[in-house]
This record gives sequence, structure tokens and C-alpha cells, in this order.
Amino acid sequence: MQRRHPLLWKMALLQVCACLLLVWLVWSWGLRVERNTYFLEASDRIALAAYAAEAEHVAATGDAAAVERWRLALQQREHTWVAVLDDYLQSLGTTPLSAEQVSHLTFMRKLSWPMSKRLEDELPYVSMAFPEHPERGRLVMQLPERLLPPGLTPWTHVFTHGLVPALLALALGLVLYRHLVQPLNELRERANALSAGDLAPLASSSVTRRPDELGELARAYEHMAERLRQSLNQQRQLLRTLSHEIRTPLARLKIASDSGLPPEQLQQRLSREVEEMRRLVDDSLNLAWLDTEKPRLEAEAVVVASVWEALVQDAHFETGWPLEALVCELDSTCQVHVHLNSFAQAVENILRNAIRHSPPNGVIRLSGQREGDRWWLVIEDQGPGVAEGDLQRIFEAYLRLDGTVGTGFGLGLSIARRAIELQGGELWATQGASGLRMNLRLPTANV
Amino acid sequence: MNTYHLAPSLSPSPRILIIEDDVELCTHLSNHLSRRGFALNSAHCGGQGLDLALQAPVELILLDIMLPSESGLNILARLRQERGTPVILMSALGAEQDRITGFSQGADDYLPKPFSLAELDVRIDALLRRVAIDCGTRAPSMPSRHSALAFDAQARDVSFDGRAAGLTSSEFRLLCTLHEHAGEALTKAFLYQHVLHRPYTRLDRGLDVHVCNLRRKLAAIEVQGIRIDAVRHQGYVLLCDGA
Repeated sequence: MQRRHPLLWKMALLQVCACLLLVWLVWSWGLRVERNTYFLEASDRIALAAYAAEAEHVAATGDAAAVERWRLALQQREHTWVAVLDDYLQSLGTTPLSAEQVSHLTFMRKLSWPMSKRLEDELPYVSMAFPEHPERGRLVMQLPERLLPPGLTPWTHVFTHGLVPALLALALGLVLYRHLVQPLNELRERANALSAGDLAPLASSSVTRRPDELGELARAYEHMAERLRQSLNQQRQLLRTLSHEIRTPLARLKIASDSGLPPEQLQQRLSREVEEMRRLVDDSLNLAWLDTEKPRLEAEAVVVASVWEALVQDAHFETGWPLEALVCELDSTCQVHVHLNSFAQAVENILRNAIRHSPPNGVIRLSGQREGDRWWLVIEDQGPGVAEGDLQRIFEAYLRLDGTVGTGFGLGLSIARRAIELQGGELWATQGASGLRMNLRLPTANV
Repeated sequence: MNTYHLAPSLSPSPRILIIEDDVELCTHLSNHLSRRGFALNSAHCGGQGLDLALQAPVELILLDIMLPSESGLNILARLRQERGTPVILMSALGAEQDRITGFSQGADDYLPKPFSLAELDVRIDALLRRVAIDCGTRAPSMPSRHSALAFDAQARDVSFDGRAAGLTSSEFRLLCTLHEHAGEALTKAFLYQHVLHRPYTRLDRGLDVHVCNLRRKLAAIEVQGIRIDAVRHQGYVLLCDGA
């Protein structure tokens, strides 16, 4: 059997997706969260921008001493280094820049850039162009310590690289659980219900419709439950039938033995009742055997007309039916490859049924035609027939259609069908021209 | 009733051993068979029965399958190591054809319970008769009666007016047996034993189909004056017109 392992692929895809998501989360989102913590607060940015505007205002006067005074005041206030520069990066104050200070000017950042001490373990230098006339100069200052962004705290780190991946893994686990274990739970509940004796078929289950391995399991399980249900029903039917069909003759025997019949009459009745009970037990065992052990029946070439002739002779003896009313339209070229005794038994059961339901002058006809390597045989009677809806039901064991008179136990057709099917044949019923038509399809013998 | 009786060449009272744990059934069987002129012995458990069978040879053993300590099939297997005494198995187990085939390995016939005494008689007679024939007491001879039908033992076929019927060997044996006992109804049990070499069971149709095939083949070569008829509840008889 070819297996596609859909569940394997589903699981693999899910795992791959989860892995990729995790990598993306840590790599891209985690990094962004970290970067975001290195930006200046908006209020700080406004305050610093205000310094730049102030510096422009002071520089616009063209008074280098005033600029120097303002610069020193700001330095003192913010405990940092401040410089006001023209567009050639020359100091607009009175103090020229030292060589070291000039070197800082190559590492300046804008206000909107992230800030950290990470690079040289010193506070970064911030360059702010004059807001009104950026081409005229800029305010440069080392970022005051109090304004430095806190950066990634350990808690944020735990959140981004611990908690969120853990939640993701948990979600994956939940999805897997829902996908794998939920159906199993459902099956377990079905099993419990079944062992508690609840045989009602599953009304609707999403599990059985799944296209994957679990769906297969569920369907196999349902199939098993169905078989169990069938055999339990059959067992109940069997008990019902046995208790009825055996107790009735027993009751008749009891009454007969109490009523002081003459010995010959009593013996006659005794053997009749015993024969009936024996037949029921034999048929029940036979059906159970065909049903449960599925025996391999040795097939041989069988002339259908000979079997029919033998059966017709018996039927003629037992029921008194005239031989002319049991017509065979086949000649000895019609040979099928079957197990003789079970084929004969099947045909016998069909024949007996037909006789039982035929009117006194009825004719029962066996005909057939070859279809390639199969023979299609038809046994048709002129009885009342069977309603369209019951054509399938008549093959159920221990079933007697309402209103049918007769002495059968409802086993004949079940046994016939089982036996035919075990040999690779088919047996089905259709409505005939005037009565019931039984159809058999069997392999031809190689002749 | 049976239209044939035990071959006269058998000893006046064939000995039968019954191994059956149901005492009541055993007594019934013993009484019935004694009345029919058999010498009876019985045992209620397997080991004892086997000892009896080995010590004092008997012509036939009726053996139950369900015995208290040891299965009847084991007893049969052990008996077969020493003796080939004909055995009829009796059992209340399922009577399905193929299971029986398995059971009756080594058994000569099989009787599913419940059975009637008449059926038991038929089986015992058929088996004893077959054994008698097998032992050469009454060898199967070519039909000696005057008949227009020519039997060819070599080709195992018959011909009429120079036309061969094309029988199978089973059909030929069947026709020989029926022809040899023409006018005498032969039981199905005997015919199964003698012609098909297997015990007869209720659902077995092999013999009936052989008879039908035989009739058809004889009709095909236009054989006149020979008819094979079914005898109700018994078996078959071959009738020769004017013979």
C-alpha cells in the first residue's frame, strides 16, 4: 500500500514555520527593540533643539564674546562640553578648538540618531544645525550624562530573547496538541462509550474526515466499531431467534408429551421438531463459520445444469413441485469455477425461497448469459416479489419480511450471499418481470 | 427401510466399540446396535477405550470427539499408529464441511450430532460393506450382467454402439458400482464411501452432480434401457429395462 504520510509533511511544515518565525523574531524584531532604546526622549530632543535655536540667536549678533559667554554658561549648566561652530567648523566663540576637540567633530551624531556609550565608552557628540539658517553654523555638544538613553535593560532582554520565544514555543506546542492529541481524545471517548455499551454510530466526527494518518486511524476504528455493532446486532438477533425458534418447538413437544398422544404420532412429531431445531443450529453455525473464519473454498469446474437438476430433484421430493415447473434454460456448456457444495447450497437456498413464495402454478426459471469471463445467472420466480426498498434487506441474517409466511429462519439468503462472495462472485436481487429475480455473477470455468 | 443388508460373508456378529462419555447416549446406542446383531463393547473415557481397541480387535469404532480428559482426535491419532480399524467420529461441534475434512483425518466417517438411529445404521452398514469390498471379500468386478453397455476398464470409460461416453474416473466408478448392484438402491453414505472415498455430509452435493453428469453423458450417446433414479431419503438405483 502506498502511504503519503501527510501528517509527517504537516508536522515538518509547522516546525519549519515555527523555526523561521523564531529566527526572525530574535534577529530582526529583537534588534529593532534594542535599537529603539538608544534614541533620545522627545522632550530631551526639543530641549536640545531649543539650545541650538538659542545659539543661533546669540551667534546672529556677531559678538564672539557673547557667544563665548553663552557657551560657557551652557557648559556649566549641563556639565558638559559645548561649542558653537560656523559652517567651516570654526569656533564662533573666542576659544579656538583644540586638536582633540576637532577630532570629536568627525564622530558627531544628529539628534534623531541612536545614542550610546558603546563605541568609545564616552558620551557621544551631538551636532545641531541652526534651525533657521543651517548653512550659517551649528551647535555641537557632548550629550549630557542625564540625557543618555538607558539602552537595553536586562528585563527588556529577557522579554525579547526569553519570554517571547518561549511563548512562541508554547503556541507551537498548543497547535501540535490540538492537532494530534485532541483527535486521540475523541477516539478514546468513543472507545469508552463503546466499552460502556453505547453502540450508536458516530453522528458526525471531524476526525474521520481528516485526510491524514489520524483520519485513517479514526476510519479504521469506525470500521471496527461498525463490525462490532453488526456482530453484536447479529448476536442479539440470533439470541432472539434461537429463543423463539427453539422454544416454540420445545413448547409444542412439551404439550405433545403431556397430552398422551399415541406413540407413532408422538414419534413423528418428535422427529419433525428435532429436525427443525437441528436445521436452525446448523444454519446458524454455518453462517457464523462463513462470516468469521472466511474459509478458503476449493473451486472446481461445475456444470450449472447438473447442480440445478440435482437440487430440483430434491425439491420435487420434498415439496411435491412438478419437475416441469422448475425450468433450466442452460445446457452443459454453462460451467462455472466455484466450490461445488457452497454454490449448490446457495442455489438451493434461492430455489427453496422461490418455491416457498410462488403461487401453486408458478414457474421458476434458471437462465443465464456469458459476459466475458463471467457467467451471469438469473433465477426468477412468479411470486409476489419484494418491495424495491427491501431488495437489499432480504440478505440480512435472521430477517423475515413482515407478513411473510413460511418456516424459514431468514438465514438462507445470508448464507447464500456469504458463500458466493467468498468465491469472488456476486449475488443480488432485482425485481423481475413477474416476481423476484435473483442474480448471480460467477467466474466461468476454463473450458 | 434399507433395501440391502450386510454382506453375508462378514462374520455373523461384527464387533463394535463405542467410546462415548455420555452414559445415557452410550446405553441407547448399545441397546440399538445389539438388537441389530452386533457384538457391543463400550468405554466412557478415551484411554480406556483405546486400551480396549488395542487389546481386542473390533470391526468398527464409534468415537466421540468431545471426551473428558483427552480429545477423541488424539485417541484416533494414537489408534492409527497401531491399527487401521474403521472409525466413525461423532461430534456435536460445528458440522461445517471443511472443518470436518480436517477432523476426519484418519477417520472413515463422520456423524454430526444429533443424528438419527436410521442414519447411524446406514453409515455403519456402508462402512462395513466398503471395508469388506476393500479387503477383497467381494472384489469390484467388471459388470458381468448382460448389458449393451460396453465397459472398458483400461480407458475407464463406457461405450454404446461404438460411441464412447467420455466419463471421468469418478463417474466410471459410480456407474460400475450402480451397474453391479442394478435394481438395488444404494445409500448415499455407501456411494460416498465407495465411489468418492470420503464421508458423506449433509451439504455435500458431489455425488448428486456426478449422477447428473453421468445421466447427461449417457443420454448424449443415446444409451437405451438404462436409467439412474433417485430414491427418496436413500440414494440412487440403476434400473435396466428387461434385464
